[in-house]
Amino acid sequence: MDVREKLNILANAAKYDVSCSSSGSKRRAMSGGLGNACSAGICHTWAADGRCVSLLKVLLSNACKYDCAYCVNRRSNDVPRATFTPKELIDLTLEFYRRNYIEGLFLSSAVIGTPDYTMELLVKVAKELRTVHRFGGYIHLKSIPGASPALLYQAGLYADRSSVNIEIPSDKALQYLAPEKNHESILRPMNFLAERKLEYKADKSRFAPMFLPAGQSTQMIVGASGETDLQILTLSNGFYQQQQMKRVYFSGYVPINADKRLPVITTKPPLVREHRLYQADWLMRFYNFRYDEILDEQHPNLDLDLDPKVAWALRHPEMFPIDIQTADYEMLLRVPGIGVKSARLIASGRRYGKIRLETLKKMGVVLKRAKYFIYHPDTPASLRNLYPEVIRPQLVRQQLIELPKPQQLDLFRDCHHETNQLLLPAS
Amino acid sequence: MLTIYYDSTFDGFLSVVFEIYRQRLDVGSICPDRSADGIPGDMFLQPFRVETSEESARRLKRAIVNEAGEDILMTLDAAYRSEEPGIEMKIFAYLKRLFSGVDKKFARNPTSAEMLPLFKIAGSVRREAGNMLGMVRFAKTADGTYFSEIEPKYDILEFMIGHFRGRFANERWAIYDSKRKFGVYYDGHSASEVFIPNLEAVTAETPPDIITQLWKEYYDAIAIKERINPRLLRRCLPVRYWKHLPERQPGGLSNLQSGGLSNLQPGVAC
Repeated sequence: MDVREKLNILANAAKYDVSCSSSGSKRRAMSGGLGNACSAGICHTWAADGRCVSLLKVLLSNACKYDCAYCVNRRSNDVPRATFTPKELIDLTLEFYRRNYIEGLFLSSAVIGTPDYTMELLVKVAKELRTVHRFGGYIHLKSIPGASPALLYQAGLYADRSSVNIEIPSDKALQYLAPEKNHESILRPMNFLAERKLEYKADKSRFAPMFLPAGQSTQMIVGASGETDLQILTLSNGFYQQQQMKRVYFSGYVPINADKRLPVITTKPPLVREHRLYQADWLMRFYNFRYDEILDEQHPNLDLDLDPKVAWALRHPEMFPIDIQTADYEMLLRVPGIGVKSARLIASGRRYGKIRLETLKKMGVVLKRAKYFIYHPDTPASLRNLYPEVIRPQLVRQQLIELPKPQQLDLFRDCHHETNQLLLPAS
Repeated sequence: MLTIYYDSTFDGFLSVVFEIYRQRLDVGSICPDRSADGIPGDMFLQPFRVETSEESARRLKRAIVNEAGEDILMTLDAAYRSEEPGIEMKIFAYLKRLFSGVDKKFARNPTSAEMLPLFKIAGSVRREAGNMLGMVRFAKTADGTYFSEIEPKYDILEFMIGHFRGRFANERWAIYDSKRKFGVYYDGHSASEVFIPNLEAVTAETPPDIITQLWKEYYDAIAIKERINPRLLRRCLPVRYWKHLPERQPGGLSNLQSGGLSNLQPGVAC
């Protein structure tokens, strides 16, 4: 089997891993070496499904010994299997990198033999890239649950980011779907790496070696088992707080295996729900929202019609509308239609004078949403109230992903049909 | 009233502003040479030419830094690189109010009527420069030099050099902006400006090789077929960039058109 065939099989096997970021690490090129890492991260291209491609994302091997129900590479699936040799993978990475196709390598693997053996191969690739080829690009290594701490530690020395996927948000469902796994086995490598990173951080010396400079990330599948959004957000909040995760990714379940434990194979991926979860995640990471503000026991699931920021604002009419001249920066951030950039612009601009409606428009504030939640010098006093039940339908209509197309009424055919429906109730 | 012509450089533009103040010119429009070719000027404005003077540009730069700060000068430079028609008059309007001394707080107010448009334009120029870092595609020539052709919307090549110099410090590479007909060549030690009169000859030397083929196949393999979403793709990767991206060239699944459901899907955050 040549490299070309292997690349095809192993890229195909890796595509359900959604993590794509190359950010968070600022690595300077080694002397005589190739490549550096840019802390903002760089997207190199976007695939046909609209997801960005910044790393060469492949598996080292897809010959897995586990049999997880949701996974395309499970033992019982009849798919072509392939395994890269470390040299093939290194050559491929360097060639792609020199042509500026990629930002670095994202290396994952199915478990071949034992977790230790697999992890050893992954570390070997990263080590050789860093030491022999003096490669300074981004390396994302998967930690294999069950691998020995010594190997994980080595991985941390060579990689920029490491990840272990929790996959199923609740432990019980995970053990049901993936008999060889449980949450404990997944959290152990995460915690180990998070602790080592903290130790390295304590050393303030300029010469201290880097340990996972871009931290850790994880991913969970949405819609394969019956968790609520509240459970998912609670879990991801825990990851951000305790394991100091940089990112938690959500992946709408794409049915790949016919399995009686999973939704039927014809299920559409829950894309809107996934989108809303990411919006909620953004609110937690950039807008100072707490997870229990976005959702609570009364509202355990995100509103699919409205983005979580609007939904929150509508649940809190007592806080709106706000005066953009005097409101706190934190409160500006919470206005639907005002993003981080606009909030900063408003906060710095209002020191010099009043901010009026046309200035807001030029700043890029989405006024069709924001107008209900703010007032400015030109707003008449009678409009300085928020009635959620009145504006909710208008906001829902704005956020429809595709507006119903306006149709010319037909005097004879369609109308007749509709009147029929109207006159005759469902009997 | 005058139409002032100059050599389309930022220094040239600053010299124009300098001369406007020195000679108390009554200016109606400022027109760079690149857009003046073959287009008759405004018939009600008198043509006037200002030669670039490094000395006056330097003095004006110092004045801007003193009045407003280094970052404002950089914002003006970035906005200038947008090459939008009329950008000169917008920058001039800002400078005029800056030096009028009427409003002491004007200099650093990003939301003033003069600054806000410049601020937004500078933002899009910088955004394109950042995106373009990932969209440069090198091809290997016979002598081992990596060559890339780009056609950005804005004049951002100079913003990108530092990044590639740090990243490929030991390689020889060249990036050529074929829209503005100049490029940068890095020989392993230092970067220099190059002009390539016969671009076809160079691109003919770099036919797609096996690595490019592997990359195209990888690109096709990494997309999840159930989630194909052309609208999102076009939003993230505008069609105007496709010309120089091997993975978007015909002859692969990459041009796969979607089925019915995909048009409705919202974006993936990444």
